Amino acid sequence: MKQFRIPLMLAPAMLVLIILFMGSLIIALLQSFGYAPLYGINEFPTTRYYKDLFSMPGFWRSVFYTFYYALVPTIIGTICSIYLALTLRKRFAGKKFFQYIYKLPLMIPYLVGVSLTILLFANGGIIARMLYAVGLIESTRDFPRIINTHSGWGIMIVYLWKQIPFSTLIIYSVLMGLGKESEEAASTLGANPWQTFWHVTLPQIMPGIVSATIIVFAFNFGNFDVPFILGGGFPNTLPVEAWRAFDDADYSKRLSAMAIVMFISLISGVLLFTYLMLYRRFERLRGRN
Amino acid sequence: MFRSFKENLSPFQRFYITFVSIAVLGPFIPLGIASFAFRWNWPNLLPSTWWLEARDESRRLLAWDYVFSPVSRVLEATGNTIIIALIVTAICTLISLPAARVLAKEKFRGKSFIEFFLLTPLIVPEIAVGLGILITFIQLGLAGSFIGIIIVHLIPTLPYMVRVLTSVFQGLSSDYEEQARVLGASPAKTLWHVTLPMILPGIIAGGLFAFLISSNIFLLTFFVGRGSIDTLPTLLFSKVSSGASLDPVGAGIAIIVSIPGIILLVITERFIKEEVFAKGFGG
Repeated sequence: MKQFRIPLMLAPAMLVLIILFMGSLIIALLQSFGYAPLYGINEFPTTRYYKDLFSMPGFWRSVFYTFYYALVPTIIGTICSIYLALTLRKRFAGKKFFQYIYKLPLMIPYLVGVSLTILLFANGGIIARMLYAVGLIESTRDFPRIINTHSGWGIMIVYLWKQIPFSTLIIYSVLMGLGKESEEAASTLGANPWQTFWHVTLPQIMPGIVSATIIVFAFNFGNFDVPFILGGGFPNTLPVEAWRAFDDADYSKRLSAMAIVMFISLISGVLLFTYLMLYRRFERLRGRN
Repeated sequence: MFRSFKENLSPFQRFYITFVSIAVLGPFIPLGIASFAFRWNWPNLLPSTWWLEARDESRRLLAWDYVFSPVSRVLEATGNTIIIALIVTAICTLISLPAARVLAKEKFRGKSFIEFFLLTPLIVPEIAVGLGILITFIQLGLAGSFIGIIIVHLIPTLPYMVRVLTSVFQGLSSDYEEQARVLGASPAKTLWHVTLPMILPGIIAGGLFAFLISSNIFLLTFFVGRGSIDTLPTLLFSKVSSGASLDPVGAGIAIIVSIPGIILLVITERFIKEEVFAKGFGG
């Protein structure tokens, strides 16, 4: 009886994930290799859909945009979050209130962030009107394109707005768990603030930073709605192209869609795995494990 | 005396805190104004005609009148969002509790693998899961149904729930349970009278979290709901998907969509302690 207790208690949660999550990934995988009897297609195993993908016009630009929109906000956001978390440890007027409000973006859907970005950063948006009011621009055409452009500024603004609170919360909570003793010791021993941060604080909060960057990057890499609305049209990011292919009237395109999402999953998996391994190695070099 | 650790903000940090506050709250001011506007042309900083001024002359329903009319389906979507999130939270709590308890209290082979596996939904691109599941659900007839949406919402909520509850159980001492058993309480009685009251605050925290995640999900609802079931996020998507501009109705819906999060922010400050996050992600 005893030996069945652990598997039995784990079973509900594990089964939900195995059936739903792994199941759907396996079906996507099979379809991407040509197994789709539902649409009268059964060429399994074929790599045709992957080959088609790599020769599709705009595919490599899609790959580039997907990387670019995911990576830039992850890096900028993480730096901003570390600094915000460190600032939050200090005492200041209105700190309690600030600790409430900075989490607001975390609590509301990405699409609200998208709506706000359209309202503020469209060419005739609030920011452009403010610049006009102070005489910096003369018409809507003088305002740089921020939304609906391949440069992706609008997309990255939404990611930063939503994700800085998320990463800050994780890093700040790790900081809270640490206490200040080792930093105070370093400071007493004559380390300057920068040395203290670099040699004492940063290594201790690294686990939190790694978790936050992994979650944020993986999210951005696979996100669909933000680039769909704020991106620059064809070619857009891989998830948007996958949805377009899936939504096509021609059902055989759905197999290409599956090939795209498998490609996204593979790339994101390899990247995150490499990142984790590098981090582990760094920890070993420091002698923590 | 050693040099005291600097406690006050530097001028740059003061600027930073101010900037973050404005960036977070500021955009809601024009959003509120936009929801009450009727005509708001370039380059006016305020609308030239407000909704209430145009209300009587217009034959169409405007701004908030439209938002609250059945035509906009806002109330229906709000109801859907709440019902789905409540059911998802309940199911998610029930299946996470036993797993979290085992992960917190027991040592067994393959434990770290299972812990990792339970987190994978956070790092596998949502679109891959979404399209794979949509194909399956179309075949099973679950696409476009409430049950289908509730089932897929379990995927992103489970990892967080298991993590939060595991940290709750880790903080729980087994002494009281053992005493209850020694004094002759049955396992069921111990669970009901001793364990549950002790972990209830943790369950509430995890539940609020799951509710929040479920009510914010867009992609999985959009894929599986297939336009026949709208929640607040999918409704807002159909309003802003053109990406060109935000009309008063869009602004109104964006405000409505933000309300559950704002309410939960006020409540969760009391329940979700920062340490729960630390245990969940910082290790």
